Amino acid sequence: MDPKNSRFSTQISHLALDIGGTLIKLVYFSPNGDNCEGGSIVVGNGCSVVQGRLCFAKFETRKIDDCLDFIRFNILQHSGVQHTNGTARDKLSVKATGGGAFKFADLFKEKLGIVFDKEDEMHSLVCGVNFLLKTVPREAFTYLDGQKEFVQIDHNDLYPYLLVNIGSGVSMIKVDGDGKYERISGTSLGGGTFLGLGKLLTNCKSFDELLELSHQGNNRVIDMLVGDIYGGTDYSKIGLSSTAIASSFGKAISDGKELEDYQPEDVARSLLRMISNNIGQIAYLNALRFGLKRIFFGGFFIRGLEYTMDTISVAVHFWSRGEAKAMFLRHEGFLGALGAFTSYKDQSHSTELKPHHHTVERAVLKCSDDDSFRHTPVTANVNDGEAIECSINLV
Amino acid sequence: MAGREDDEHDPPILDDKTEAEAKSSERDMAPQGPGTSIHRSGSRPQLDLSKAEIQGNFEERDPTILLPNQSDDISHLALDIGGSLIKLLYFSRHEDYSNDDDKRKKTIKERLGLTNGKLRSYPVLGGRLHFVKFETHKINECLDFIHSKQLHRRDPYPWSSKTLPLGTGVIKVTGGGAYKFADLFKERLGVSIEKEDEMHCLVSGANFLLKAIRHEAYTHMEGEKEFVQIEPNDLYPYLLVNVGSGVSIIKVDGEGKFERVSGTNVGGGTYWGLGRLLTKCKSFDELLELSQKGDNSTIDMLVGDIYGGMDYSKIGLSASTIASSFGKAISENKELEDYRPEDISLSLLRMISYNIGQISYLNALRFGLKRIFFGGFFIRGHAYTMDTISFAVHFWSKGDMQAMFLRHEGFLGAMGAFMSYEKHGLDDLMSHQLVERFPMGAPYTGGNIHGPPLGDLNEKISWMEKFVRRGTEITAPVPMTPSKTTGLGGFDVPSSRGSALRSDASALNVGVLHLVPTLEVFPLLADPKMYEPNTIDLSDQGEREYWLKVLSEHLPDLVDTAVASEGGTEDAKRRGDAFARAFSAHLARLMEEPAAYGKLGLANLLELREECLREFQFVDAYRSIKQRENEASLAVLPDLLEELDSMTEEARLLTLIEGVLAANIFDWGSRACVDLYHKGTIIEIYRMSRNKMQRPWRVDDFDAFKERMLGSGGKQPHRHKRALLFVDNSGADVILGMLPLAREFLRRGTEVVLVANSLPALNDVTAMELPDIVAGAAKHCDILRRAAEMGGLLVDAMVNPGDGSKNDLTSAPLMVVENGCGSPCIDLRQVSSELAAAAKDADLVVLEGMGRALHTNFNAQFKCEALKLAMVKNQRLAEKLINGNIYDSVCRYEPPSLS
Repeated sequence: MDPKNSRFSTQISHLALDIGGTLIKLVYFSPNGDNCEGGSIVVGNGCSVVQGRLCFAKFETRKIDDCLDFIRFNILQHSGVQHTNGTARDKLSVKATGGGAFKFADLFKEKLGIVFDKEDEMHSLVCGVNFLLKTVPREAFTYLDGQKEFVQIDHNDLYPYLLVNIGSGVSMIKVDGDGKYERISGTSLGGGTFLGLGKLLTNCKSFDELLELSHQGNNRVIDMLVGDIYGGTDYSKIGLSSTAIASSFGKAISDGKELEDYQPEDVARSLLRMISNNIGQIAYLNALRFGLKRIFFGGFFIRGLEYTMDTISVAVHFWSRGEAKAMFLRHEGFLGALGAFTSYKDQSHSTELKPHHHTVERAVLKCSDDDSFRHTPVTANVNDGEAIECSINLV
Repeated sequence: MAGREDDEHDPPILDDKTEAEAKSSERDMAPQGPGTSIHRSGSRPQLDLSKAEIQGNFEERDPTILLPNQSDDISHLALDIGGSLIKLLYFSRHEDYSNDDDKRKKTIKERLGLTNGKLRSYPVLGGRLHFVKFETHKINECLDFIHSKQLHRRDPYPWSSKTLPLGTGVIKVTGGGAYKFADLFKERLGVSIEKEDEMHCLVSGANFLLKAIRHEAYTHMEGEKEFVQIEPNDLYPYLLVNVGSGVSIIKVDGEGKFERVSGTNVGGGTYWGLGRLLTKCKSFDELLELSQKGDNSTIDMLVGDIYGGMDYSKIGLSASTIASSFGKAISENKELEDYRPEDISLSLLRMISYNIGQISYLNALRFGLKRIFFGGFFIRGHAYTMDTISFAVHFWSKGDMQAMFLRHEGFLGAMGAFMSYEKHGLDDLMSHQLVERFPMGAPYTGGNIHGPPLGDLNEKISWMEKFVRRGTEITAPVPMTPSKTTGLGGFDVPSSRGSALRSDASALNVGVLHLVPTLEVFPLLADPKMYEPNTIDLSDQGEREYWLKVLSEHLPDLVDTAVASEGGTEDAKRRGDAFARAFSAHLARLMEEPAAYGKLGLANLLELREECLREFQFVDAYRSIKQRENEASLAVLPDLLEELDSMTEEARLLTLIEGVLAANIFDWGSRACVDLYHKGTIIEIYRMSRNKMQRPWRVDDFDAFKERMLGSGGKQPHRHKRALLFVDNSGADVILGMLPLAREFLRRGTEVVLVANSLPALNDVTAMELPDIVAGAAKHCDILRRAAEMGGLLVDAMVNPGDGSKNDLTSAPLMVVENGCGSPCIDLRQVSSELAAAAKDADLVVLEGMGRALHTNFNAQFKCEALKLAMVKNQRLAEKLINGNIYDSVCRYEPPSLS
């Protein structure tokens, strides 16, 4: 094995990107020890096993330069890929997925010398979820009434399931097995709608700020509730309680109030409930249609945020009359990037490489002790708290 | 057909000099003055119920039943009081007593087996359902309207025997305002409100309308409306999606069987609420109007925005698919003020419409339902909203399901509230018993124009003069939705949108439903379900434009004739002018929105014109012309009969058919023929025309018909038992053409029933005029005289009913029945019960004239033999239908259809 070539191969497989409309998600492998070769154990079949951690980072897409810098200084340089003179190799291939893999291909090539090996977005997503659900224990959990509960999923009984990825928009994917999946539905009312409308209505600058606001709001001020229509009594005949939302933003019709007259908190809350409820409903209806027992929700809208998880869980619970449960994944924000990362195989640039360039054989999810789901700021952060201890096989 | 003589709200004031009333000797009318009150109307229905079937046919004959200021005689009233609109529905019925001693009718009834012993009872009385709307914040207009028509002072159970004491009236009301305004109703009108469950009303209203109205449901894709005919037996189950502030999704399994299976909180209230906060629009309509000029790609994140302009075709999404509604507002440093309100409105509209379509589809799928009906104020007549929802349903179902909309959608709740009265009698109403009319000039039937209730014709004309302008500026006084308001549906940005879009009101523009329980499906139709009366489909734009133009060009002549028929008085001129405006407005509206009045065929168009004339009280525009031509034709009839009698049987049959075709040239409905009139006398034209009848005709089945009549190879064919002769025009057409043919059948021992219009239309002969004509002809002909006596047509003749002729086995009666129609064409799905009864023993149907044999029924198949005779007096029709030329003849003979 040509050490140089081997080394080169090792380097590029450290990184995968998922460039969405709003966020860029990064997954990269950080070997234990300072030396990039450190911790590698050559096993009998000629493969070397490298111990390390899978690390996660995300950036706002509009701040793509931050992302470029991060890759340049924290990954490429760190792992010694980059030449000392700062120019990039022209054959540096990195797995990338998401719409931005097309849109920003030229930028990455120009700035970092990285050529994207584009992976299908949905394929990556599904691979990422399958990987997590099979490899990482305590990955899936339910969230109801502020209580999260990990769900042990039998690997043999994983399929089929419904995967709802809430990014800017929402994709609903029926997964029947490894590489067997179909996008069966979706909706344009997604995270982008929450943030977009929220920004217009409240002058919030960020998703997190908007979410924070929604925590303090009361949607009854602006939503028309069943009780508002039926004079405080339940309309139990049709199974609706008086506090059920009859019409989101429906009170804004008749109040004669202007936007300024409403608390941004209330607006944010109403918006969040509208979108969560809608996603939960459409997801439930699709699960019903295909007889799927499990619905996993992921995407940046969820991101382990109590309030969004709660509203979605409530919606699924409500529409299914308690029969279906919404489930969430600890790494939901990085599903696409993880999927892209796990797809390093069939490399063609080196004939010496066998397929299965690397595989993660076991993984230990390093959770913080308190198991809290603190969300992290969007800007260039590394989610160390949820890094996955793992080892990868190198051919 | 119930009376079509007045405006849908207001009984016209008629002076007692009208010709029609002069003719009223045939029946004894019992007009009710304004003073006759509640107690009578409360008790009267019992009486009427027993008589309805006897008189029903004739109740529309005479527009002079009513006296000035008399309110509609018997009414139901039901309301749906919503947040922005009040929908009101009331039923009115006019009293009519016809004379049972009428000897002609009695004889015919006996002949047709309609003797008093065999009276059938109809489940509902004839009358009209009026649909009216008001803005909720102008509730006083609504109360005034009810008060002015005294709608509240009626027994709400007019078909029950109960007579309620004054002041204890109850009105059925649904909608959120039912409670809110209860006190107001009590105070102003002295009536109590009985609140009906909204969803129940919605469903029962939808069920009724879908079953009773033939062209109620339609699809709306890419700006095109298409009516869907739904078999009443195949209606259930369906999904009803009501998009109000929120959305209710209801699965309907049958009468009174429904369940709210789902819904969404993202509905019309969300659109309006969010829209108001984001755009400062003051009204829903304004917000909607804004969306028409919007471009949602400035604010929505499209698939193309994410994938750099490429389609993500692998998962079936195009670049213009919305990936995230409002998603672009995320990443740009723009404030609310930096976005155009138009774009925001469109983005909102698409987000919500699309979402509703999707959730509805998923629910339909869940229950295996193929049909989804959408309604509610969010949908109401908004072409773009309908397109978006239709696109969503089509997209997600991959074409398996259709989003459908209802023409009376705005009135579902009110209709349901109306149905919640006990014994409303509408349950068993069939679509053939309903006729929808579109009277002009009613400020309440939609439109943004308001005013006081129209008290009489004079006020209506004044209103017309004020609101309906002449010439090219003519618009229907009801708002219209532009026909092509959208380009692409669903996700994609519409390529073109109409300049104006109005909400709500346009979809509330429905006609008056005339309930005519005596109408029946013509029993001899081979397959009533497959039957389509119109030969020319006006959904074809070229055809539509041509015929609308033809009618438009005819208009001045028609107005002149109509005004002259009323003596050319100032009043007649004023009414003529109003008629011209009204009819032009109808034409203008149909030009823009062909489906405005339901499925449009040529027959509907011609009928609309007659209706419009009647609306402005031109009872019979061609009366004097018809009279003159009848006299002239009767004068030459003896010569013609003598000529015919001198011929051999074979020659005579040919001459008779030639004669029918030749005489059919006398038609005031044809421009070409009107020109001819100025060039010669009737008999000259008739003879000239007959001499030109060179066989073979363009469609020539004469030999087959002759063989049927005369046999071949020495075999004597059996004679027809009874022939129904559908006659066309007055004058030469009926007298020199059809009467001699009838006489031929009679002399062969075949019973003959002359079938004529119930109401005047152009110069068509009416059933009321025929007895006089036959009597005139009978003076010169024993065959006709004997047959007419037997048929009860010669009531005034000094004939001894017991004379020898009655025992003559070979002699057959000549009868006259009305067809239930007031149009030059005939829709055989809706004919009088008299005609239906007469048809039972008939084995031959002869349809004569363009209207009845070509424009309609050219392709109709019958269970019995049929002979269709007409001269084509329109070049375009000749080319289209028979690949021929103007004045070509059609003689189509068809044996019974084996269906």
